[in-house]
Amino acid sequence: MPHAPDEGSRAKGASPLSAETFENQVLTLMPSLRRYSRSLAKSDSDGEDLLQDCVEKVLVRRSQWRGINLRAWAFTIMTNLYRDRHRRSSQHPSVEFDETLGLTAEDVSGDPLEKTRLQQALNALTPEYRSVLMLVVVEGYAYQDVAEMLSIPIGTVMSRLSRARRQMAAHLARDNIVTLRRPK
Amino acid sequence: MTDEHTPVTESDLHAFVDGRLDDERRRQVELFLKDHPEEAAEVQLWQAQARDLKAAFSGYARFGENDHTLLRPTTQSGPPASFWRKTGLLAASLILFLSGAAAGVYADRFYAGKPPVATASALESLPGQSKTAFLVYASEKRHPVEVGADDQAHLITWLGKRLNYKLVAPDLRSEGFSLVGGRLLPVNGKAGAMLMYQDAGGERLTVLLGRNPHSTETSFRFETSGSIETFYWIDGEIGYAVTGEVTRAKLQAIAEECYRQFES
Repeated sequence: MPHAPDEGSRAKGASPLSAETFENQVLTLMPSLRRYSRSLAKSDSDGEDLLQDCVEKVLVRRSQWRGINLRAWAFTIMTNLYRDRHRRSSQHPSVEFDETLGLTAEDVSGDPLEKTRLQQALNALTPEYRSVLMLVVVEGYAYQDVAEMLSIPIGTVMSRLSRARRQMAAHLARDNIVTLRRPK
Repeated sequence: MTDEHTPVTESDLHAFVDGRLDDERRRQVELFLKDHPEEAAEVQLWQAQARDLKAAFSGYARFGENDHTLLRPTTQSGPPASFWRKTGLLAASLILFLSGAAAGVYADRFYAGKPPVATASALESLPGQSKTAFLVYASEKRHPVEVGADDQAHLITWLGKRLNYKLVAPDLRSEGFSLVGGRLLPVNGKAGAMLMYQDAGGERLTVLLGRNPHSTETSFRFETSGSIETFYWIDGEIGYAVTGEVTRAKLQAIAEECYRQFES
């Protein structure tokens, strides 16, 4: 079964009463849900939008939750929402280059060009590759957990991870296409 | 079961990067990488990628001010909260679409990827960095520069100090462009400088200066990307790149003017 970090924090919750409500269990997951939604999104506002859609769906579907590993269950819902939104938006492309494009949280001293490059390399990935990369690298899930969350064979997890990493590397190398040498 | 004779697979390399191997297998992969520089280089790239991704998103793992309102128990009456939010977003995106046409023009170039024609180290991508700086900042409405032309003396002293170079801001008024200001930017991983100019019609161009790792000289070169032209050269320890969405002849005249004034 997928590792369930949220279960532990619930058991140690502040008051037994608050720990009982489904809403409060979801509330404790908000930071990791926010990070995952942002890692899939094109911008901060896009990430918040995905997060809100996900929370709404989690609440509506609460009766379908089997009572174990709420975090992984919510991540599965988020991944599906993201994939569906991506399909819709690729049919109806909108203006993407607004001032919220790029990564803005923390580390404002970081290199803005590098952040933009990273965001663009991520945006070039298909949703299938990107979600696997983020679940493994940023969210720290084991390959088998990812396979279960996305209902795909572990071999597919590995091949998506591999392609995501290689495409990212190729995209990030793409700017370096001209050598500055004195011509002969 | 694995031993030193079990071949190292690509899955092992990923598991190595992700810290998913037991100690024994990890040591075997380390030994393998010592003898396989190509695989070792790729693994290093993936490790750097993982560090960058974690760093980029870790800051988002926090509570939002309105998280508790998102989690209010759902009621049966009235449209869901998302209805109003989405109605507002639709209006906002329409405004963005109408007002963001100029930004959209730049955005198209961003996504129009070019196939790699040659491999080069990151240290040699001055025109690429110049083009990206132009795309990012020339379309910026509110903060195109850090220090404006009204504080030109400070701008030049500050950037010159960071670049360790006796900087001048070329006077391009003869070409119809006046200084907007400048900002500090990483170029080749070190402090570099970007100067921005604008003509009477609001057309912008950028001049990027970065330290060159080796003292070299190049002839002047052009790189074209869509309708964006970049003109660049290296002279000793400094690399220069001028980028704008103007004709090549016009940009060449501007670049020659820059060159003349940087040299004097």
